[in-house]
Amino acid sequence: MSTDPHRMLVKSRVCFMAALLLLVELGECAEKTNSSELHQFTAVEFYDKLHSGKMMFVYFELQVSPTISLFLAELAKSAEVLQDYGVLVGKADCSKEAIYSYCTDQRQLHTAFLFRGGKEFLGLNLDTVFDVNSIVSEVLFAILREEVKYVHTDADLLAMEKSARGQKDLVLGYVSSLGTQEHRSIMETAYVYGSKYQFILITGGPVLKHLGINETSQSSQVWFLHCQRHSGPRLTSVHCPLTRMKKPLTIISLHSFLQLMEAPLVSEVHEDPTVVPPPQFPYQDTPQVFVFSRPETHHLDLDTATALAWRLRGIATLLLVHRQSPAVKTPDHYNLAYRRPQKSLEVKFVTLHNIDEVLEILSHEEQEAEEEKDGGEEEEDEEDIELHFGSLSDEIAASVYNNRDTFLDMDSITELTSENFHTVVAQSDLTVVLFYLKWDAVSITVLESFIEIADRFADSEVPGVQLCSVDCSEWTDLCSTEVGDSSPFPFQPIISFPTVLMLRPKEAAQHYSGMLGIMALHRFIMLSCQASPVTLSSQEEVTSFLQEVHHPELLGPKPDRMLGLFNTPTNEGVAVFFEAAKSLRGTVLTGLVTGTLAEKWAADQQVELPAVLVFPSWGRHTGPTTLSMSSSAEELLTSISSALLHPLPELTVESLPSVLSVDKGLLLLFVGEEEDEAGLRQNQLLLEEMRKVVELGGDKMEAYVACWIHLGRTPAGLSVLGSYLGSMPPLPALFLTHSPSTDEIYQYPPSTPIRAASVVQWLQRIQDGAEPAAGMLGADTWPPSGKFYDFLKVMDTEEPGSAQQQEPEEEEEEEEDKERVKGKMKNTEVTGSSFSSSSSAAAAHTHSEL
Amino acid sequence: MGPDLVFFLLFISISCVTCWSDNGRRHQYDYCVLGAGPAGLQMGYFLSRARRDYIILERSSGPGSFFHRFPRHRKLISINKIHTGSANKEFNLRHDWNSLLSDKSSLLFKRLSSEFYPPADTYPLYLSIFQKELGLKVQYGVDIRNVRAVQMATGVQYLLTDQQASELQCSTLLVATGLWVPQKVDFVGSELVEGYESISTNPEDYKDQTVLILGKGNSAFETAQSIMGRASFVHMLSPSPVRLAWQTHYVGDLRAVNNDLLDTYQLKSLDGLAEANLENIVIAHLKDGDSKKPEKKKKDKKKKKKKLYPRLNKFLLKQEGGKNTSEVSAEELSKYHIDNFSLREPYDRIIRCLGFRFNFSIFHSSARLQNSENAKGRLPSVTAWYEGENSPGLFVLGTAAHSRDYRQSAGGFIHGFRYTVRAVHRVLEYRNHRNPWTSTKLMTSQLQSWILKRVNEVSGLYQMVEVLGDVVLLQGSQCEYVEEFPIQALPQFTSLSGHKVSLQGLIVIIMQYGKKVTDTLGPDRARQINWTTAWRSSFLHPVLYHYDTLPTEEEMRLRPKNWALPRPKAIHHVVEDFLTNWQRPLSHIQPLQRFLEHCLQADLRSFYAESCFQSSLTHRRPPLFCQQGYLKQQGIQHVARPIERVQFSGLMPTKQDGVSSGPDPALANFLAQAGTPVSPGLRLDL
Repeated sequence: MSTDPHRMLVKSRVCFMAALLLLVELGECAEKTNSSELHQFTAVEFYDKLHSGKMMFVYFELQVSPTISLFLAELAKSAEVLQDYGVLVGKADCSKEAIYSYCTDQRQLHTAFLFRGGKEFLGLNLDTVFDVNSIVSEVLFAILREEVKYVHTDADLLAMEKSARGQKDLVLGYVSSLGTQEHRSIMETAYVYGSKYQFILITGGPVLKHLGINETSQSSQVWFLHCQRHSGPRLTSVHCPLTRMKKPLTIISLHSFLQLMEAPLVSEVHEDPTVVPPPQFPYQDTPQVFVFSRPETHHLDLDTATALAWRLRGIATLLLVHRQSPAVKTPDHYNLAYRRPQKSLEVKFVTLHNIDEVLEILSHEEQEAEEEKDGGEEEEDEEDIELHFGSLSDEIAASVYNNRDTFLDMDSITELTSENFHTVVAQSDLTVVLFYLKWDAVSITVLESFIEIADRFADSEVPGVQLCSVDCSEWTDLCSTEVGDSSPFPFQPIISFPTVLMLRPKEAAQHYSGMLGIMALHRFIMLSCQASPVTLSSQEEVTSFLQEVHHPELLGPKPDRMLGLFNTPTNEGVAVFFEAAKSLRGTVLTGLVTGTLAEKWAADQQVELPAVLVFPSWGRHTGPTTLSMSSSAEELLTSISSALLHPLPELTVESLPSVLSVDKGLLLLFVGEEEDEAGLRQNQLLLEEMRKVVELGGDKMEAYVACWIHLGRTPAGLSVLGSYLGSMPPLPALFLTHSPSTDEIYQYPPSTPIRAASVVQWLQRIQDGAEPAAGMLGADTWPPSGKFYDFLKVMDTEEPGSAQQQEPEEEEEEEEDKERVKGKMKNTEVTGSSFSSSSSAAAAHTHSEL
Repeated sequence: MGPDLVFFLLFISISCVTCWSDNGRRHQYDYCVLGAGPAGLQMGYFLSRARRDYIILERSSGPGSFFHRFPRHRKLISINKIHTGSANKEFNLRHDWNSLLSDKSSLLFKRLSSEFYPPADTYPLYLSIFQKELGLKVQYGVDIRNVRAVQMATGVQYLLTDQQASELQCSTLLVATGLWVPQKVDFVGSELVEGYESISTNPEDYKDQTVLILGKGNSAFETAQSIMGRASFVHMLSPSPVRLAWQTHYVGDLRAVNNDLLDTYQLKSLDGLAEANLENIVIAHLKDGDSKKPEKKKKDKKKKKKKLYPRLNKFLLKQEGGKNTSEVSAEELSKYHIDNFSLREPYDRIIRCLGFRFNFSIFHSSARLQNSENAKGRLPSVTAWYEGENSPGLFVLGTAAHSRDYRQSAGGFIHGFRYTVRAVHRVLEYRNHRNPWTSTKLMTSQLQSWILKRVNEVSGLYQMVEVLGDVVLLQGSQCEYVEEFPIQALPQFTSLSGHKVSLQGLIVIIMQYGKKVTDTLGPDRARQINWTTAWRSSFLHPVLYHYDTLPTEEEMRLRPKNWALPRPKAIHHVVEDFLTNWQRPLSHIQPLQRFLEHCLQADLRSFYAESCFQSSLTHRRPPLFCQQGYLKQQGIQHVARPIERVQFSGLMPTKQDGVSSGPDPALANFLAQAGTPVSPGLRLDL
């Protein structure tokens, strides 16, 4: 066949096909359905072409029937295709002029003929050639009969591989039946690539087992056997390494698959993956996988890359990036990058631990791509993927997991154990202890903040404070001494993780119940350093207590302060005050004033002794709030905390909980970030109006807390705002939400200026039910976040009955079984090393004896 | 006042009479513990810690007398693994099979021996230190010969009679007498057999002898191992083939430390194993007059013991109408076995190593304990909470209580029964003193980490596989975590523990091996790395069962084959782990979270404060984690941000030059003049 003149066309045909493929988006063959009329041979022309050696596929039309016209239509379509392979397709009308023997023999009615080299080459029954796919595939199959080999057993294949080794690569196609589109794809490709690769076509046989597919499998497959190359993994094996084509078999996919097999296994680049150009034709749809190499491990990296490349053959191309190149900017903790041109040209960076994960990512994405095409079952598939490869749906767990390479440097923290606990705690006035579990993501997050704080304390010079941690997954005896035991440690068993305790020598532990973040905890520790209460014995001391500029390290707003005024230090209220002061340590600075100094302060504030003066951080200009002494610490704490509550609190991530804790509706104003002085003034005016609302509303405002969110400082408020209306309203925007009685959200008319009087009216209209709701609060039920993986269902499917309760009557049977077994046991022979074979005969014998 | 005082004194004297017997010993206790072995002392510790009125009675002069004699070859095969790389005391108990439970870490067995397989003599020593340092009340030298139950106004009481016929009355009797009566099998010639309890332990005594050992347990192999270097060969005979502990996961099966003989057997070195039912064998020796050799020669050999011939009784018995003498003629001997009978050669010694049985003999019919159905009836049968079936207030502790988990778990061994003893103690505390079973109240958002903490360190569930389980009572935003409950008693959970099950149901956490028999060392042994196939895990792994209500006894009985618990509403297997660390985010934690979410029908994920802030403002209530953390002002903030030294500027009224509380017309004017474009809301009419 190598002498066949048509083979000469091959080279140009490769180009043609490539061009064709560019035009065709999906795997369907391009064919014109409005095909031109089928070529009609005259007798002269037929003989002329025949003698010139032209390849012809001709049907001799003896009579017309619907079946035949259908066939002729298909034949006409195939003419277009086969023309490219040098085959002239046509019919001869026997009713016009008879071509000898073909037009005379009635048996030819169901046969079309292939002519080649001046003579009839083959007759094909219309049962086998009935449509364009079968015509093209059968004709090409016939033409390539010599070239496309057939193998049946593993041994046949091995023989082929041996002869091809070092010469040619093999392309092995499996089709479950001939004449199909798949068959045609292989034949067309074989025609084009026939000189380059050895094609093999199989339709079954034991060789399939070697290829790892089931003989009953209906799906066509193509393998590429890398026999030409000498290098490659496991060439020590007698078989050539093979790559299976993963995509469904079409001429397009086969073409690009073969192209891909020609691509260099690993290419090396010295640029950052982001600037490496996306894959060029013909690989424009093929993902690129980047792995990184360092000079010192270059050989090793190359080996890894090669191994990976072998596994990715046909799926992606592999590029080895030289990290030492200054152009490579990829952070060190990423060890892999990839680009999926079908999705986007963006390069994604990941950190993977084994090669399988790469395959997972790519197959995952492939699936995704398919999903996009299919639509439909998208959700199901996504969940499947998540089940198997998993991203974490838990917010904190996910961010800890993504940061898992970061090493926590615990140098600035003393690790407490059940052995060193007492010694370490005795060393410092204040020991702040974080109890954590090392696998718990929340614990790890807080531990990171804690380390940050410890570093700051290590840098600054705050005496008498040490930060310690206890790993409760290790020191379980320290964290949770069994209930009922007299615990040697000055705290209750830790049952919530993480927990932060403030320990002072010879004092009961104080539980830190504030925000678990750097700023809040740092502030708390700083404020905790001061005694609570501080005894103030002179006017100067009191003044400095109230005005003292705090340690520069102290973050956040100025602290709240509180003074207790008593006649004598032995006054019965002093104990209550002490108790309250102790529990406020870290949040409120407390001072104790007694005697004449107290009397003077009381007189200034026009209160009776004993009294408590509260100086909220926000209210310096208004003077202190005075409280009369309560009889219990709880009562005192309640009145202190309400005195500390801002009349118009700004909602921040930190402050929201305390605002919500009063359980009132929120009259909530959203303001934007001030861009300039004017903006600042606007916002200040707005807040003024809000204050007026509180004043004007009087008792009616009792049901609400007026508050505001500054979207610049609290960007988290943006999504809140968006969710209220489903869209972003212009700023400022005023809402009434969280009313105890309803889930409805009301928006103050955006076109109306925000003025106290109209706001109060608006509130009244809402109460009267005259305002339409603008939105609804979400339900307070939070159903499971992820799909439940039902093991019982899986067991029931995979091992039916294994997880089912037994039937009541089964029990008796079981007992019978036992009896039988017992009986058998009694009859068992001595079976020893040399003796086991005779036991059955002997057992049979003993039955009769017994 | 006078008469009252007299009455009071009278009362005291009466009560003294009832409390103390003539020899000055008290004769009534709330709790009597029989036996000062490991189980008895373990119970003593719990009773003493709860300050109960108890006494431990021991017939010997010191604790753990069994260990003075057994194991005969003086090496304990319970592992004493001191170096685990972990400081977690609970975790370390997983690998310490000898220590008893106490709150003193100095009372661990490692104090006495650092050997992995410690010498047996250290054990009684350990027990006596344990008893002394904890001040446990033991009366030594009291040999209880009889136990009777009597019905009294206060309920059933147990009367114990000792060797001096003095009586002791106990409200609750805890039998921790262990197993010490050698187990024997009746067959013709059984009197020719020596017992493990009395054989010589000097290998020299077996020089060049042929020895047949009856039994294939650890005592049999221990004996074989000791003599195999001297004996000419050792054969072992028992009904069932050898069961290797490392294959069956049952520590009572043959331990690798004793199995040298398997080597020599399979490497063709004379020793061997055979199977036969021991009831069907006969051990014979030649009749005296049967030797055809002259008298004189026979006299020379007089000192040598007669050779013993094991035969199957079916070849002998029917001979002379059921003859049951072990003396047979040589003729008979050779005739009655098949040609290549394995044990055809005579033996110099036959040693019985069949283990021990419970001493049932001291129990009067009023306090009768039934023989267990399993373990060849060697053990007393008990309820799932270790009480005698028909003897309320009589509990069996320790090895004798092994019928509950015979060949299943470790209840017959110190490292197992130390936990079941604690369970019995907790049952008693509730039944007699109304102290509910120890439990931990947790916020539901903390449940997941608590479960993980437990399964990663707990020793009780790890040792008492499928016997003890943690029970989580779901109660909405809270849950109650009850530890180490005997799961077969789940139908009686409420009456035994004093805890009620709410409508939300319960979760039971146990550890279990795979149910499929796999090749223990084969390539498929630990294939389950994907959490979705966790239910196929073959190695020990935690399994969670979710029920709406407590299973009934009926459901318990009809549970799926080989299961420890009935079919639950939902089940979760935490995939097996090579390191037994169930801590990985993707494989262990997230699947567990999904399961708990399903059980609680709630979102259990954790969120940063910012997300909680948003969900708190957009919903009536945020997810549970935010409710129980953020809303209690304990939100979790993002990290790794450098501390921003933000001085709250602009609107903060605290700013030194801040706005005064009154309106500032100047500002408004400024605003108006500037003609700033403002949104409609801000168009103040000035």
